[in-house]
Amino acid sequence: MREYTILSLLSVLLTAVLDRTLRTGVLRKAHFWVFMGVMFGFMLIANGYLTWRPIVLYGERFSLGLRLVTIPVEDFLFGFSLVGMSVILWEYFKRKEGRDSEVRP
Amino acid sequence: MNIEYLLLLVCITLVPAIMSRSPGLPLASEKGALVRAVLTVSGFFWCWDIIATARGHWWFNEEYVLGIGLLGLPLEEWLFFPVIAFVSVFTWESTKYFMRRR
Repeated sequence: MREYTILSLLSVLLTAVLDRTLRTGVLRKAHFWVFMGVMFGFMLIANGYLTWRPIVLYGERFSLGLRLVTIPVEDFLFGFSLVGMSVILWEYFKRKEGRDSEVRP
Repeated sequence: MNIEYLLLLVCITLVPAIMSRSPGLPLASEKGALVRAVLTVSGFFWCWDIIATARGHWWFNEEYVLGIGLLGLPLEEWLFFPVIAFVSVFTWESTKYFMRRR
């Protein structure tokens, strides 16, 4: 079964749900997509290196087997979730800590 | 070379780690939020990684890792998620800074 394909798709869905639940609204901001474009550029280099050497190898039966140069397409979804959740939680904790400190006497 | 994966992580971290002290960015003043965000994201992806590696979704070339590991993941892979989460937050704040967004 294409487990990695399924899990990477679910993680993107989870990222969108997280952004809504925490009311961070990150995915609705235009500059988020500029930022994600920059991160995909970095990813092509770092993940490209990891998969070209290869430092990381993949069980082909768990994914579609489609690669952008050397990077499996699922890695882009995985990367989107990792990067997306990082900034969503950063915005969330920043807001939360700001609110906490306001409450303090 | 066994230090290759570690070296890649060092290269990725170097510039953001130095630049994160820039006064225009709120990273140094929001250390608590940064640590909490990085650890929460890492916790989720560590779990995914442990399961995926155990299932054989991917594995690591012994030629390029130090050989120290836990729960099937090399040390470098444990460091990968905090590193990427930190670099993400740094790049995010830099993007907002250059695009003049709050």
